[in-house]
Amino acid sequence: MKRKTPVYVAAMLVLVLALVITGCSGNNSGGTTTNNNSSTTTPSNSEGGSDEKPLEKVTFTYFNGAGAAKDINTNETTIGKILEDQTGVNFKIENLVGDLNTKIGTMTASRKYPDVLIPDAAIDEVLGAEGFIDLTDLIEEHGPNIKKAFGNDLERLKTEDGKLYYLPMSAQVGEFIPDPNIGQGAFWVQRRVLKEAGYPEIKTIDQYFQLVRDYVKNHPEEDLTGFIALTHDWRFFATTNPPMHLAGYPNDGEVIVDMNTHEAKVYAANEDTKRYLKLLNELNAEGLFDKSSFIDNYDQYLAKLTSGKVVGFFDYGWQIGNAQNVLTDAAKADPSQDDFVYFPLPVTFDGQKDQYLDPPSFVKNRGIGITISAKDPVRIVQYFDNLLKEENQILRGWGIEGETFEIDENGRYYRTAEQIAKIDESFRESFGFKYYDWNWPIYATSSTLSNGNAAAPGVQPEVFQMSLTEADKTILNAYGAQTYAEMFANPDERPWFPAWGIPKEQGSPEQLYETKKTEITRKYFPKLVLEDPSKFESNWEEYLSEFNKLDTAGYEAFVTAEVKKLVEEAK
Amino acid sequence: MRTNFSTSDKIFDYVNYALLTLLMIVTLYPFLNTLAISFNDAKDSIRGGIYLWPREWSLDNYRYVLSEKSIYNATVISILRTVIGTVVTVFCSAMVAYAISRQDFVLRKFVTVAFILTMYINGGLIPNFLLIRDLNLLDSFWVYILPGIIGVFNLIIIRSFIDGLPESILESARIDGAGDYRTFFSIVLPLCVPVLATVALFSGVFQWNSWFDVFLYNSSTIELSTLQYELQKILQNSNASMTQKTAGDAFAGAMQNQGQVTPTAVRATMTIVASVPIIMVYPFLQKYFVKGMMVGGVKG
Amino acid sequence: MEKVEVAETVHYPKKSPNKFLQFLKQCGKQHALLVMTIPFLIWLFIFKYLPIWGWTIAFQNYRPSKSFAEQEWVGFQHFAFLFEDERFLRVLRNTLAMSGINLVLGFVTAIALALLLNEVRVVVFKRVVQTISYLPHFISWVVAAGIVQQTLSPDGIINELLLRFGLIKEDILFLGIGEYFWGIFGAAHVWKDVGWNTIVYLAAMTMIDPAQYEAAEIDGAGRIQRMWHITLPGIKSVIVVLLIMNIGYLLESGFEPQYLLGNGMNVDYSENIDIFVLKYGIAQGNFSLSIAAGMFKTVVSFILLFAANNIAKRLGEARLY
Repeated sequence: MKRKTPVYVAAMLVLVLALVITGCSGNNSGGTTTNNNSSTTTPSNSEGGSDEKPLEKVTFTYFNGAGAAKDINTNETTIGKILEDQTGVNFKIENLVGDLNTKIGTMTASRKYPDVLIPDAAIDEVLGAEGFIDLTDLIEEHGPNIKKAFGNDLERLKTEDGKLYYLPMSAQVGEFIPDPNIGQGAFWVQRRVLKEAGYPEIKTIDQYFQLVRDYVKNHPEEDLTGFIALTHDWRFFATTNPPMHLAGYPNDGEVIVDMNTHEAKVYAANEDTKRYLKLLNELNAEGLFDKSSFIDNYDQYLAKLTSGKVVGFFDYGWQIGNAQNVLTDAAKADPSQDDFVYFPLPVTFDGQKDQYLDPPSFVKNRGIGITISAKDPVRIVQYFDNLLKEENQILRGWGIEGETFEIDENGRYYRTAEQIAKIDESFRESFGFKYYDWNWPIYATSSTLSNGNAAAPGVQPEVFQMSLTEADKTILNAYGAQTYAEMFANPDERPWFPAWGIPKEQGSPEQLYETKKTEITRKYFPKLVLEDPSKFESNWEEYLSEFNKLDTAGYEAFVTAEVKKLVEEAK
Repeated sequence: MRTNFSTSDKIFDYVNYALLTLLMIVTLYPFLNTLAISFNDAKDSIRGGIYLWPREWSLDNYRYVLSEKSIYNATVISILRTVIGTVVTVFCSAMVAYAISRQDFVLRKFVTVAFILTMYINGGLIPNFLLIRDLNLLDSFWVYILPGIIGVFNLIIIRSFIDGLPESILESARIDGAGDYRTFFSIVLPLCVPVLATVALFSGVFQWNSWFDVFLYNSSTIELSTLQYELQKILQNSNASMTQKTAGDAFAGAMQNQGQVTPTAVRATMTIVASVPIIMVYPFLQKYFVKGMMVGGVKG
Repeated sequence: MEKVEVAETVHYPKKSPNKFLQFLKQCGKQHALLVMTIPFLIWLFIFKYLPIWGWTIAFQNYRPSKSFAEQEWVGFQHFAFLFEDERFLRVLRNTLAMSGINLVLGFVTAIALALLLNEVRVVVFKRVVQTISYLPHFISWVVAAGIVQQTLSPDGIINELLLRFGLIKEDILFLGIGEYFWGIFGAAHVWKDVGWNTIVYLAAMTMIDPAQYEAAEIDGAGRIQRMWHITLPGIKSVIVVLLIMNIGYLLESGFEPQYLLGNGMNVDYSENIDIFVLKYGIAQGNFSLSIAAGMFKTVVSFILLFAANNIAKRLGEARLY
């Protein structure tokens, strides 16, 4: 017996191997695991039984390539449950973990899609694969609210043969309300600097740097850093973008678009950039610039911002949120710490009108679509349409009256302090605010409801004012502003905004251009800033000669043409 | 045993212990640092400057990670794939290794080269994906096991150990009339315990840490998700406000999104959560590396 | 000590006029070995050789959504993109330099550590050192790179120490100096993986007959001599085989540490083939470029492997095949 065992084992192994390879199909469809693509349909127990035909409950799969939330079923959240009661539809959300192009590539290669797909930056691949169905007729038939909310935007998204493959994810409805907080770019400075200087008006970059300079000089014992820059990985744009803003333009990405001629110009190697880098170079020579800016990672950068040792920097508000939160929390606990909180300033080169705030935007290369694998596109479109009803937009933005918001005698929406405290991260998840915040066809944050309230609580003045501390009010008062946004000029209308949202084909010359441009700037900016001022001109020449190898004119022509198209469409 | 230490032996010992102690300090640091950050308040960690000890003790990071219910089922799957995957690959690799260690085996060269070449060839991601699909392995547990039945690296390591076994042992087995099966099972396998333990460790750690195959093949089947993949999700979730760089629109939401955890804190916590179980396995395997354990049985 | 050579000189099938018949006869005799290998050859073919059709992708403008017949064929365009780029030579140099450093440092340190550990007589100490030294292997590169960045930053411990001992006058931006990058990279790798890499050598040492040590001791050999003449030769065949395998991987220097520690200031030294392919291939949805690069690497690997194996053969060392 003992001798036979090995033969037996080996034979078993061969058998198992063969079985497993051939037999897995049976095993799989046998149904121990849920088949992700089929929509599981179960009849609902329609207790209401009213005039409407009973809605069958259905679950659709939904893949979010822009995702950064938990995988859930929407009906596990309060909002999602209410929406399911209205429509009978539940979505099983899967978020991307890992590389987007790879994941979308496997989908298009196997033609196995989820029912609803947000391909984020890989939308081009899905369109090329004809993975989305045309929504035109569906919306015509089942989407009155979709049409109402998006209006002309839908026309603008249509392909040349008049097909609509995806919906944009935010609809500007009603009056435009700017975000009272500064999520956008700004030159930031510690509040104590402004306090000490007597809250001067700071309009130009020279005034700004002088402010920084003076403060550091007056406090030599503190070992302060004057100015730092964020350069880590893809966040490097926080160092390449300032010249655009200083010249008085909003964040259009690689280009500045002329308001009259609509010509797009790359600014990475123009006089604006040169001027900005020269200023940084001078700061560095004076010992005011943090040399490690060009090697620090994001964590190190945030640690420096929270250290209280950094006087100023340029960045986008959404990138420094974590650091600013730490500082404001400390200031709430100990008002003297308010000195270290950063305050945004609308600085330009020569005091021209600033355009830091985003105008109403129309991101053309992002969207949500229904795939060819979807079993019942009508139900999905109906769900989107239902979601875009104003009452449901109030639900997903504000929540439920008496629970997550109140209405005063004038019909204004607000939140009590308890409600604000209650709505923390875990509440946002369980209630569903987090999942309906973005990544659906919804009202843009800057939208206004028909009753005059803001669609998003964050931009409602009543809610915003409650978030301000005494110190916040003091400094805002000193500048005669109610909100941080009021420090900045109103955004002009730019139908093409943001120009970085203009779709570029994957692997196209335009995409290659952007990659190469980033490479060159990453390599030369540190040199230009950190080396001795006497070398600045020669380094700049070297940079230019490297930069001129790129087909900038071709890139500009492409963007200009697209911008002009967008301007035409918007008319 | 050894009683007479010469002076040079003593010096050697001192230098050796000093060097190894230094090495311990240097290699322990990253782990302690990660541990400290994982037990430190996430917001406070943003300030930096945490080295060996938390500054503001907090269990919130662990609460955040461990409150995710999906990780428990995922841990079971991780254990299953680690155990099954390791047993299968160690056994199969050893078997083939034995065959190709036999100098007279007719297919020796062919099999050896066929396996080695695959170490340096890769058809690419999409073709591999399509293969797995065509084998009907998508959304199945076996996709964790089957593609790795034999690790070529492991195969070669085991073979060179078998090559190193005293020829006399194999020879005497043959004279005793033992066939290949018996030689393999009752002589080669027991003698190779140290290398099998090594290979088991390698493939166990590999299996435990894998998440890319989950991402590619099983991402929509939560029941088959693994611990590492679920932890990646949690990390991503904590990153939410960071990655939504799409226009200012996301910002109002993003500001509110910033909760008590940060990617850095979550990453530290998940490093601990994911690595402690597999690190604890080590001492059990370690005894097999301790010198002299098997040689006594050989009596070459 | 001469085990390796012994293994090489055993029964080769005798040459006979009717080779095929001889072969079949051998097969019959070795049916057990065939049963032990053939299922795995089938497995190998399915899982490792079938997907090689994917190499055709290198000659296409591959779009996953299209069927094989619909793909656009572009010949050697992607290879040309790779080889004609002015950065290619630099990227290749960096790849070779970094994996060369890795190979040498990795082997030397792991073997040295294994030897040192082998000489430790206090078992508890030995176990503790071994366990701790392999801990960094479980820290992801993201975390590890963060620690490296922190350590090397101007306010990090290295600068602090150098300043305190007066070795430098002002802070050094270690990661901002391209020439330092390979060294930092190599050191980081050793730090992270030396303990892990040691395991296989420790396992190999268990196979050494203790009688050899006893004999050496009687002959009056010192510790270092024993290491040199007994331990090292005892694990030589494992070292050689691992070395040959790793030489085949010379174009694979990984990308995580380079990507994470790389920045605009050291890019001339940190960017390797994998990063290049990541930027211009995968990040742009260009699967073809990464396959082309993969093919190039495979070809080079084969050449290196073949050369290394032949050298080993000439030297009478253990071989890979």
